[in-house]
Amino acid sequence: MVELGCHHCGYRWNYRGESAFYATCPRCHYKVRIPNQKVDQTGELGKIGLEEHSKNLTGIAKIVNTVVSQFGYDENMLIQILLTFQKNFGWIPREVLSEVSKQLGVPLTRVYQVATFYKAFSLAPVGKHKIRVCMGTSCKVRGAPVILERLEGLLGIKAGETTPDLRFTLETVNCLGCCALGPVVVVDGDYWGNLTVRNVEKVVRSYR
Amino acid sequence: MPRLNSRADLEELRKEILAKRDPNKPRITVCSGTACSASGARQVAVALEEEIRKRGLDAEVELKKTGCHGFCEKGPLVVVYPQEICYVRVRPEDVPEIVQSVKENRIISRLLYVGPGKERISRESEIPFYKYQKRIVFGLNRQVDPKSIEDYIASGGYGALAKALFEMSPEQVLEEIKKADLRGRGGGGFPAGKKWETARNALGEPKYVIVNCDEGDPGAYMDRSLMEGNPHRVLEGLIIGAYAIGAREGFIYVREEYPLAVENVKVAIKQAEEYGLLGENILGSGFDFHVRVHRGAGAFVSGESTALMNAIEGRVGEPRMKYIHTAVSGIKGKPSCLNNVETWANVPLIIEHGADWFRSIGTEKSKGTKIFSLVGKVNDTGLVEVPMGITLRDIIYKIGGGIKGGKKFKAVQTGGPSGGVIPEEYLDTPVDFDRLVELGSMMGSGGMIVMDEDTCMVDIARFFVGFLLEESCGKCVPCREGLRVLHSILTDICEGRGRDEDLKLIEEIAETMKETSLCALGTTAANPVLTTLKYFRSEYEAHIRERRCPAKVCKSLIAYYIDPEACQACGACLKNCPVGAVEGGEDEIHRIDQDKCTKCGTCYEVCAFNAVKKISGEPVPPSPPRGTRPRAKR
Repeated sequence: MVELGCHHCGYRWNYRGESAFYATCPRCHYKVRIPNQKVDQTGELGKIGLEEHSKNLTGIAKIVNTVVSQFGYDENMLIQILLTFQKNFGWIPREVLSEVSKQLGVPLTRVYQVATFYKAFSLAPVGKHKIRVCMGTSCKVRGAPVILERLEGLLGIKAGETTPDLRFTLETVNCLGCCALGPVVVVDGDYWGNLTVRNVEKVVRSYR
Repeated sequence: MPRLNSRADLEELRKEILAKRDPNKPRITVCSGTACSASGARQVAVALEEEIRKRGLDAEVELKKTGCHGFCEKGPLVVVYPQEICYVRVRPEDVPEIVQSVKENRIISRLLYVGPGKERISRESEIPFYKYQKRIVFGLNRQVDPKSIEDYIASGGYGALAKALFEMSPEQVLEEIKKADLRGRGGGGFPAGKKWETARNALGEPKYVIVNCDEGDPGAYMDRSLMEGNPHRVLEGLIIGAYAIGAREGFIYVREEYPLAVENVKVAIKQAEEYGLLGENILGSGFDFHVRVHRGAGAFVSGESTALMNAIEGRVGEPRMKYIHTAVSGIKGKPSCLNNVETWANVPLIIEHGADWFRSIGTEKSKGTKIFSLVGKVNDTGLVEVPMGITLRDIIYKIGGGIKGGKKFKAVQTGGPSGGVIPEEYLDTPVDFDRLVELGSMMGSGGMIVMDEDTCMVDIARFFVGFLLEESCGKCVPCREGLRVLHSILTDICEGRGRDEDLKLIEEIAETMKETSLCALGTTAANPVLTTLKYFRSEYEAHIRERRCPAKVCKSLIAYYIDPEACQACGACLKNCPVGAVEGGEDEIHRIDQDKCTKCGTCYEVCAFNAVKKISGEPVPPSPPRGTRPRAKR
């Protein structure tokens, strides 16, 4: 049970429903947000505090909770939370998204909207080695498109794809800020500068 | 380290640090910016550390890993003080010799920079790249370790903050910035003082100050280098700004693609908090201010002020209408003052030296200096800080050392995807906010991409439109649809399907986008197309009427063929062709099968005899019959 107040008409009542995010005002049918601190997994509201609550979590929920609690259950930190997952997992599985939505008290649509809007997030598994080809203006005039084409030919995939054996993911980025080294390719954080069509193959081979 | 509780404490600490340091003690500095690290500076630093330890010189020689020096072309850079000897392109193998030379006080001439007249230049400040710059904001980068607040304090850091807090009222700080006529370095050039005043006078608490380090322009990286190399200066500027505006909370928004900048600024914040320069009761003045770092998640449009504020709130970084300035209603509807990294970094300087000093640099309407990232087909790539009003020619030829490979200059692109290209006849234009806009370009964040004769202007326009098309958030129709149509027209032109009436249509769409788009991304999106069309119309016409690409870049309009007179049958192209389009054998002139050729250019690049030719707008000459022997061997 949780006491809610309607923002629209000011009506106050004790909500006993099961929804975790929104309740409907009995008087004016306005959607009222349920504060996330008072939600727990079992649907029984307001009884178990967050810390108590997090002890009972298992599996993905527990993993998600460690990150979300680190950011203080602050919904403004949604992007930062997702970035943490992206960095640690390499991609964000669907279950994580829905769990983040649940624990943060943010609608899943918004979590999904953020996760698909920003380039940093990947919703599909990525290869073991991530090849990022800089396509900034400076690298472009120095010949990056040719390098990309060669990479695509060597790996048999287009930019943005992953090889079927999950070995390589090929990406383009807009600028890595190493314009002096252009054309630049970064593989797992190693910079390969001043590339030519000839030595691209050598770079790829060193990660095979 | 005990907290600093007053201005006197800060001064005392400064004296203490300086007393510990001997200015004549040899000091080796290694540039640890991203570009130098990428070319191997980390290994050099490790090798130096080991070598110094091995020789037991710990007490005699100091090693310092500094921020970006700016001369990225010649990285990794090592500078030896106090003589200020600059070694370029240093490799770990060179390290023992360097340490030895420092001990013996001599110069290794083979590692010095070679000047335009083949002379070797030892002093850093005499290298033309540095000589013509005026590094007031950026200069400290090469002397301080970004991870050490003591370095920054020793060089006079946080003195401006103390001055502002104890000698000036917030109104006086604001007046000083207004008087200095500091304009936003992020691109628009909006007066910072005016923005601050609006935020200060706006109703609503709390107020926020924000550093915009979401530097998305391809080819521009000066914000990153400042953030990486000297985060304390940005932080000091931000605290002063917060004091003037009356903000208690601040955000630093950094691109996720800049991990080192995030790391360094986080360290800087922690140190400043430990020293009592940030947090509660700064320097015992009673002023509280907290800062949080937000990482961006890779969206070009979220560098726009309203979009950035959405992103800080954890939402999708889409811009909104700006009926009301963000300075009045920004984050969570509260007054929020957003400035670019470089703008904030200028603030401590203005407070310290006074507005009059700042006004003495630059032109009538644009004061101070500006950092540009000079990249592309130029000899000495890097970050250059120059006073406003310097000509493009000086930047490219005096500082940048001219065009790579002795090619001919064609155009310089300023302002990133929102800017335009400037052709040779305007090279003597003084660079400031207003003059660049007059030419149809803009200052932008300061990217300056030099293009030579091998760059096709239609292709460049298509590249920028393609970039923006991908980055457009899709909220407003003119930008979303306009870019899509522009891109398809430009692709048609590049692929030889252009029609005469296309040019008129381009102009019409561009005009509409300019008038009706929601944010600056859309309103300026057509600039690259319009400027290339204005200055290089003939190139567009060649594509459309003659199906010819004058720069020989657009793939559909070019062909490769092997000149039988020059071919030596070495087999390099045959071996390297990824699609097997080259035919021939030992002692037989090679031929390219035009049907198989994908025009990747590999053969052109690998040929040592210049026998592979690119042609455009003319039929491919017939190849000699099979079995023809190369000329020299005939």
